[in-house]
Amino acid sequence: MYRKQVRRRRAVLALLIVGSFALLTLTYGQGSNGLQRGVTAVFAPVSTVLDRALKPARDLINWVDETFDARGKNHRLEEELQVARKEAVGGKVALAENEEFRGLLKLDRSGAIPSGYRPVTGRVIGLSPTVWFSDVMIDVGSGDGVKPHDPVIDPDGLIGQVTAVTGGTAKVMLLSDHSSAIGVKVVPTGTLGIVKPTVGEPETLVLSFLNSDKNVHKRQAVVTSGWSGEGIESRFPPNIPVGEITKASLIVQEAQEKVNVRPYADLRNIGTVQVLTGGSRK
Amino acid sequence: MILTPKIVARLIFVGLFGVLLQLTFFSQVELFHVSPDVLPALVVSLGLLGGTMTGAVSGFAIGFLLDCLLIQPLGGASLVLIAVGYAAGTFRERFEIHSRFVAPLLCALLTFAAELGFGAVEAMFGIHTDVSILVLRDMLIKSVFAFFLGWAIYAGLRRLVRPALVDEATVRRTRRPTVLGA
Repeated sequence: MYRKQVRRRRAVLALLIVGSFALLTLTYGQGSNGLQRGVTAVFAPVSTVLDRALKPARDLINWVDETFDARGKNHRLEEELQVARKEAVGGKVALAENEEFRGLLKLDRSGAIPSGYRPVTGRVIGLSPTVWFSDVMIDVGSGDGVKPHDPVIDPDGLIGQVTAVTGGTAKVMLLSDHSSAIGVKVVPTGTLGIVKPTVGEPETLVLSFLNSDKNVHKRQAVVTSGWSGEGIESRFPPNIPVGEITKASLIVQEAQEKVNVRPYADLRNIGTVQVLTGGSRK
Repeated sequence: MILTPKIVARLIFVGLFGVLLQLTFFSQVELFHVSPDVLPALVVSLGLLGGTMTGAVSGFAIGFLLDCLLIQPLGGASLVLIAVGYAAGTFRERFEIHSRFVAPLLCALLTFAAELGFGAVEAMFGIHTDVSILVLRDMLIKSVFAFFLGWAIYAGLRRLVRPALVDEATVRRTRRPTVLGA
């Protein structure tokens, strides 16, 4: 009797493990499948209600955390800094490439939405729980015109891109996800590079140079490059603020062709975002 | 654990509510720059109360729902949480340790193991960037959170499924009758 019970348990365990591996093999690399679309369609309204209901409690806990971190003390100054930073980035970019950025003067409040893109505002309704994935779920989807690879910004700058959509929700891969890589340039030098994250440090991105003939300096702004050529082009429109250089020693630049960048957006505390839909990029 | 339809319905509700609460609340709050992960603690508690099968099946189901709602490749979270639930169940079936610290300590330990597991699943498909040593700090703080949250989760779950617990039934049966006037 006992042996039979043990055999049955082992069989169920083996079935579950084999099932997990089979699911993993079948669904890896797909955006979203019918089952996931169905489940998210059912639970998205519940998530939205829970998200709104729990916001006061979340805010309270996050406030405690921010107080510990002394961030809450200079909130007013931070707001002023954000405005100044946006103006500074816009100014530097306009100086460097005046013609190309004339349209940026008419941008939305972030000063970073290029013409031809329609911003769709969404709220974060879910976040992945582990340190290994940096994905958020937002409450807008294909029904609102959101498509995979649309850039996603918040008032501070770029936060990531859409990687999967369902009717009413979309999954956003943040800049801090290990599979994220964004083509950027440093303004005003115009140095091109690719920004990648460091797993476990969402406030540190690593900028690897593609052309390193010019040295970059601390506090210089990093914006999306939006490069194009020979039939291919970046998925991000140019000049969306990404972050600023925080560490740029000449020795490391020469030896490793890398510098550290701090993203403008607070990737650990995202509430409302804008998806840049439309546009001509593919 | 004696699984009656009522108890199964309660367990399904707990799983659904746990996943939704994790995504909409715990993942979005931070203390010391780390968000708590209650799902391994939930699976550990289910494994401790119900044994290996309950632990493994609930781990699979919770992981599956998590992957569905986060539009991730299905099976990754399930694989990790099956192991966590099975380990907790094995502990309950093999060791006769009755201490109020067993549940929170196991929650902390297996949350750390689960975080390593999630990393291993990700590494299986390739991590294309640097991994900071601070990941370990995050895992350790998550484990500390799991210790305290696991305490509450285990106590709450125990209360919720009390009618189905075999040891509780034994205690109830062997309790001495109250003699008035004695």
